[in-house]
Amino acid sequence: MITRSRMNRAQIIALLAPGLIVFGLFTVYPIIRLFMMSFCGIKLETMFVQPFCGLDNYVHVFSDPTFGTSFVNSIVYTAVTVPAQMALGLFIAILLNGIRRFSVTFRVINYLPVVTSWVIASLVFKYVFQTEGLLNYFLRTVIKVIPKNVKWLNERWGGMTVAMILGTWKGIGWNMVIFLAALQQVPKDLYEAADIDGCGAWKKFTHVTLPAIRGTILFAMVELTIGGFNVFTSIQMITGGKPADQTQTLLTWMYKNAFSLDHDIGYAAALSFVMAFTLGLLAVVQFRMMRSRDV
Amino acid sequence: MLKKILAVLLVCMMVLPAGLSLAEEEAVTINFWHHYNAQSPENETLMNVLIPAFEAANPGIKVNAVSHEWAQLHDKVLISATSDSLPDVARCDIAWLPEFQAMGILVALDEEMADFAEVSGQLLDSAMSTASIGGHYYALALNTNSKIVFYNVQMLQDAGIEVPATMDQWVEAVKALSGENANGQQTWGWNEPALAGWNICPFIWSFGGALLSDDQTVATGYVNGPATVKAVETFAQLVQAEAITGFNAGDIPMTDGFGMGRYAMMLEGPWKSAELEGNYPDVPYATAPIPAGEGGSISVLGGEDIAMFNTANKEAAWLFMQFMTSEFAETEMAKCGQIPVNKAALESDTVKGASFAPFIEAIQTAKARPTVAAWSEMDNDLQNALYYVVTGEKTAQEAMDELAAKWDTLLK
Amino acid sequence: MKSRKFAKIRSAAIRYLLLTAGTVIFALPMVYMISTSLRPNGALYEWPPRFFPKPGAITFENFEYILDQKKFLINFLNSVFVSVCTVGLAAFVSSALAFVIGRFRSRATKLLFAFIIITMIIPGTTMIIPQFTLAKRFGLIDKIWGLIPFYVAWVIPFSTFMIKGFMENIPDEIVEAAWIDGASVFKVYTRVAMPLAAPAIASVSIFNFLTAWEEYPWAVTVLSKSEELRTLPIAIAGFNNQYGNVQWGYLFALSVLCMIPVVIIFILCQKFFIQGLTAGGVKG
Repeated sequence: MITRSRMNRAQIIALLAPGLIVFGLFTVYPIIRLFMMSFCGIKLETMFVQPFCGLDNYVHVFSDPTFGTSFVNSIVYTAVTVPAQMALGLFIAILLNGIRRFSVTFRVINYLPVVTSWVIASLVFKYVFQTEGLLNYFLRTVIKVIPKNVKWLNERWGGMTVAMILGTWKGIGWNMVIFLAALQQVPKDLYEAADIDGCGAWKKFTHVTLPAIRGTILFAMVELTIGGFNVFTSIQMITGGKPADQTQTLLTWMYKNAFSLDHDIGYAAALSFVMAFTLGLLAVVQFRMMRSRDV
Repeated sequence: MLKKILAVLLVCMMVLPAGLSLAEEEAVTINFWHHYNAQSPENETLMNVLIPAFEAANPGIKVNAVSHEWAQLHDKVLISATSDSLPDVARCDIAWLPEFQAMGILVALDEEMADFAEVSGQLLDSAMSTASIGGHYYALALNTNSKIVFYNVQMLQDAGIEVPATMDQWVEAVKALSGENANGQQTWGWNEPALAGWNICPFIWSFGGALLSDDQTVATGYVNGPATVKAVETFAQLVQAEAITGFNAGDIPMTDGFGMGRYAMMLEGPWKSAELEGNYPDVPYATAPIPAGEGGSISVLGGEDIAMFNTANKEAAWLFMQFMTSEFAETEMAKCGQIPVNKAALESDTVKGASFAPFIEAIQTAKARPTVAAWSEMDNDLQNALYYVVTGEKTAQEAMDELAAKWDTLLK
Repeated sequence: MKSRKFAKIRSAAIRYLLLTAGTVIFALPMVYMISTSLRPNGALYEWPPRFFPKPGAITFENFEYILDQKKFLINFLNSVFVSVCTVGLAAFVSSALAFVIGRFRSRATKLLFAFIIITMIIPGTTMIIPQFTLAKRFGLIDKIWGLIPFYVAWVIPFSTFMIKGFMENIPDEIVEAAWIDGASVFKVYTRVAMPLAAPAIASVSIFNFLTAWEEYPWAVTVLSKSEELRTLPIAIAGFNNQYGNVQWGYLFALSVLCMIPVVIIFILCQKFFIQGLTAGGVKG
């Protein structure tokens, strides 16, 4: 018996080992290095001299006005795209869940944006929303509802809005799949019971569906919040931070600091951990929120 | 361990008589990074004409050339430098050199190469100045360029406007060419695709202004001097009059807007001719020098240098750099629109008959942007400052005063 | 009775109507992308702007150009190789992690799980610098397979999370029965857990494939030796040049081609996909 449990322990460790080695080496170790870098005055030019500088990089982050701008942009981007994607994804999933024919066709088409490359999707959206682009042409020349072309991309919130529309469009398919999976698990008898109680569609949705898929909602919310804070390619391609760094998000601003302005790796590392801390905090809040609703 | 092996190898190499055919088996490979577009005629010439010629002339050296996207090349050099994975030789935008030099990854050619003076003597002095930092030379000039005015002949004719020769005429022309075309679409007299130094410097210099003192140590009194402020003000007024556009995220890209007759004029480099020919062969355009202001007709100097990194196989790399700047290679590249810096190549018939002849004129008076290590950060500040001027949030004087103070701290 | 049937038909009709309308709006950008790939390079800004190409002006020259170049085929094969290997290895290591974490509950495994999950909040982009130093030390630079360990490490948290839920849901009786039969941990994992978790592993694999297929910043940082030694996203980005002269037609044609494998995989696996998620990490 002892030998058997010892053998089992060895086998458990053997099962864990490959995953933990790869993960430890290629993810954990770089994170630790990065964390150390965030306390060093380290620039790309001086990669091998890394004087310890305490909290200087963190002070620099919080005193940088563009950090403030990009922080607000990231928060707004996340606060808008996450609920929008989830609501629309869930809506489509509910519609799809109740039909039999063409369900696969709809699924595939709605999933296509997820598999489109960010670069291409951004270029398409940029072209559509250009001041002389398709949308303005449609609004001004075809249906004649605006007297003058709207400059969608030329200012902060216009540019952010286009990026948010793109982010939502690209994310709905993922939510649809996740929620479709969750909906298929909701026990049918709950709906039947609700029918007997004479509940309408809306009441069924709020009283049966939502509580039943609460776990999935939390999962999607946390995942998407991380995704929202990681928005990068679309901003880079659509506005490039224009005008005057007003549409930078946390990641684009970090990248610009690390690779094009003054190569301040220490600053970029500190910014990463401020962002990670914010995400951690948000995740805790989201867990609390969902749990309190439970009670 | 590795060092020991290397030492042994080195000793072996020295002991072995030169006549032994070992050299052929152990061919040296030079890694060459560049940003000729992978789909361009320049890349074809490089791969099919130049490298075979070089390898034939230098048996034992192989060249592995890789095309990178422009911004990517810059980032890759920075990252590779952190762990000794740099190539031997790279074609660098002249704007990157001060940055790379500050990182200590470039080789001071005038110190290490005995025949440097001889080699650099064959190249244009003005172009070589872009490789000079702190009294040493860190690269060879490879090709040069500058910007001149491209204008839509038809649009100027329709508006009854002469090609502007002075800045005053330019202001009037830009205003007059803006408005609506026959389709009811808005047109602009001038396109400026960004607000960076590359874009705004020609105006500042032609107005008689400056960014920094001659020794590049002081900004106050230069970037906020009266002539610079006047240039910025004039530019901003034209933007506010909807006569200049192009730098906004939502604007039509430059080539497309010019090709479709939405932009009447623009300031662009020699590559534009090939681009217009490829995408908009029907647009009737001609070129002219930049209009002269109080400071003359002064454009901005662009171009690329070829540099070796300190981890390179220096001998082979130097041979390759000499080859790339030789009359033969430069003449071949001139056929694809690259303006040579080799004096002999500049005298060749290929160059004299090339479409870029007007650019060579502009290069005589063009100036280079500041060659200071902090330039990319300063350039970003400049763009942001100009944005607040063109939107009217700040006056030109206010914005330039703030910029000068910021630059002075960066220059310290 | 009749009114009930009527209500049912009406509700189905509304569903189809809404879905069709939504799907059409949804598909517009994709249609536009395909439409652009069928037009010559300079046609994007023609007047009046067109959503569809002029019927007579459809051209396949962009596709011909792309398919003519051997290097794009090699780039394509590189991407396939990296994505397939990433998916395979990730399936193996994360299902093993998920099995242990899901079936052997203890303080240690709980802690391990929390630790794995929490790394998801660190943005990958900044990690490029320390990761590059590491890749250099292990000789993983300029090697196509050198991408794989990094990609596997990236997808481990999400994959482990998704598969773990499934492992937990395996009925205790089945596992108990195996224990009583004297099966070892390995046996339970390979004979019982793996086959039962197959749908979850498959659906996670689709996400992982996409991650590896689309990844750009890391690949472009470590692959520099030649144009053959690149993945598709790098090839796509290569159509952008310094002066912003994008070769639209080629760019869009290559992107359309790049999407085809992923779409095929999704169509083939989508049924499986939903099943896998249903019983897996996505719990009601």
